[in-house]
Amino acid sequence: MKNVRLLGYIFILPAVIAMILVHIIPMAWGILISFKDLTIRTIRNWQEAPWCGIDNYIKAFNPVSTVGQRFMRSLRNIVFYGFFTISIGFFIALGVALLLNKPFIGRTFVRGVILIPYITPDSVAYNFWRFIFQSRIGILNEMLLRIGIIQEPIMWLVGRNTIWAVIIASIWKGWPLTSLMLLAGLQTIPVELYEAARIDGANAWQCFRYITLSYLKPVIKTIMIMNILWNFHAYNQFVVLFGENVGIHAEVPNTLIMREAFDNYNYGQESALSVILMLLMLTITVVYLYVFRQRAEE
Amino acid sequence: MKKRLVLLTLILTLAVFSIASGTEILFWSMGNAPSALHYEWMEQKAAEFEAKTGIKVVYEEIGWADGPRIMNALITGEGAHVFQLGTTWNPEYAATDGLVEIDIDEFGGADRFFAANLESTTLNGKYYGVPWFAETRVLFYNTQMFEEAGVRPPQTYEQLLDVGKKIIEVHGEGRAIATAGTGAWDLIHNWAIILWAHGGDMLNKTNTEAVFNSAAGVRAMNYWVSLVDTGLASKACAEYNQPQADAAFISGETAMAFMGPWNIADIVHDNPGLPYSVVEPPAGPYGRAAFSGGSNLAIRNNASKAEIKAAKEWVKFLVSDDVLADYTKNLTNMIPANKYALDDPYYNTEIWQTFIKTLGYATAYPPIPEWGKIESIIQTNFGNVLTDYVDGTFSNVTSKGYLDAAAAEVNAVLQGN
Repeated sequence: MKNVRLLGYIFILPAVIAMILVHIIPMAWGILISFKDLTIRTIRNWQEAPWCGIDNYIKAFNPVSTVGQRFMRSLRNIVFYGFFTISIGFFIALGVALLLNKPFIGRTFVRGVILIPYITPDSVAYNFWRFIFQSRIGILNEMLLRIGIIQEPIMWLVGRNTIWAVIIASIWKGWPLTSLMLLAGLQTIPVELYEAARIDGANAWQCFRYITLSYLKPVIKTIMIMNILWNFHAYNQFVVLFGENVGIHAEVPNTLIMREAFDNYNYGQESALSVILMLLMLTITVVYLYVFRQRAEE
Repeated sequence: MKKRLVLLTLILTLAVFSIASGTEILFWSMGNAPSALHYEWMEQKAAEFEAKTGIKVVYEEIGWADGPRIMNALITGEGAHVFQLGTTWNPEYAATDGLVEIDIDEFGGADRFFAANLESTTLNGKYYGVPWFAETRVLFYNTQMFEEAGVRPPQTYEQLLDVGKKIIEVHGEGRAIATAGTGAWDLIHNWAIILWAHGGDMLNKTNTEAVFNSAAGVRAMNYWVSLVDTGLASKACAEYNQPQADAAFISGETAMAFMGPWNIADIVHDNPGLPYSVVEPPAGPYGRAAFSGGSNLAIRNNASKAEIKAAKEWVKFLVSDDVLADYTKNLTNMIPANKYALDDPYYNTEIWQTFIKTLGYATAYPPIPEWGKIESIIQTNFGNVLTDYVDGTFSNVTSKGYLDAAAAEVNAVLQGN
């Protein structure tokens, strides 16, 4: 028994070493420099950069400081963005997955085709959307004008519509993977269950509510937790669509962190923001999993 | 005596080359020309240089977003020995203590370079780079559209509004001028020239306090917005990046645009039939003002003595009159920062003389390490002003509010908070 356990440790050792090298050490380093005043002037001799205690953390939460204001605004923006992107994306994905679960000619082909948005690189996909959203020559305004929904072009890439522009583009990019995962879940549901339910007099809604959704719960749990975490990681779509200066309506934590790090060379502040974001995501994940487990036990 | 002097010079030259000879150095520059042509030119010059000195230069093109990569090289000692820095970057990188201090006399002396470009290489009065090429922006105008509207190129900012109104009467709304918007990383350069022409400045004389939120700053900001608001520029300009604004002029869509010398190559390539000319930037109540930009060459100091020596030789070679003139006129369409390279007859055209004259009074941003951060703050708040305009909440008060907010932030940066 002892030998088996030792063998187990030996087998996981390379993975543990790799984790320590690529995850734990950089993370610890990030946490360490979040307590330092590490800037362009001190970066070369980083060991001697002055300690600043929790100043960087205080600034992040101080509503009077510029960083504090931006960080709070960025959190509000990402929650707003996430709420609509995840929820709308999920319902589209579920609808398509249910359709694709029905037999029809060319189903396999369609399943492949729907993945195109997901497999398109971010830089290509969001650049494509940038063209669509151009106010003067963009195809979206052109269509809306022709249909008569709008009388003059909407500015999508500047101003308060920016957040809706990025939500639309992100939904388009993200739903296919969710759909594919839901479809995989749907295919594990035994057909006999539906047949039995129908014999017992269940209608379509009851079948969906009590069989489909019940069986999909574990998949939905995974999808949701992944989407929430990815949502907080969002960066590419914002920068490709709006450039580095994303504007107040579309500033999210990662655009702010990148700016602090690579425009302002304020590495200490940037690390503090990253640590806060990491803790926030960790908290959300733990609470979400806890609540889900409680419900499952009930 | 003379023989001894010649002998001594020969020995010294040989000593320099023998230290550096056989050394290999890495050179990073941005894509100042189409990549394939750029590589071809660099490799050809590197071969010439190696034949002359025995020093091998490996060239690698990097992007303008690769600042962190350069920073990484300065910290770790892994990466290019010589690299291109934008003029506004030089003091910032010098502040890391990672650049070789330059004795400008070794590179031909201070008089050899445009004053503003040379100033951009300094930090606390010391040189940390060698000016490579310069750029400034002038007013390009479409001669045919001007003729059809019966107007002449504007000499003042007020005239630009009048001329613009006549142009849109003839050619339609939004077609007088193309301006950059929130998508432009260099938006600040467009505002700076109007600010200076209205008597304003970025920082006070000692570079310790922001002064750009003065009445001149607000006027300059409102002027830029008014170009869109009065219909001289398309409302879509609020979202443009600089290449989009440039493209609107180059395609013949608009009658004017503030553009740089590199755009001449774009015109030749994209729309060679475009009837255009250039004039100096219009004058404000305090005269004409222009932005001095361009790039410098800097050397990393955490390298061996031989590598630093070799790097200096390569920089000397690149800024030498003939090599630089060849690089700018045949490849990049920039202006050589070495004034002697301008003796080339190629620059004796009206267009180039306008650029050179403008560069003569162009202003560089303050050479302080915090400039990158300051530029980012101003840029963000300029973007906020345009965002307000698009959202319909723009006014003199909001414009002043954003400039004050930017000034407060810049002051905190200058005070080290």
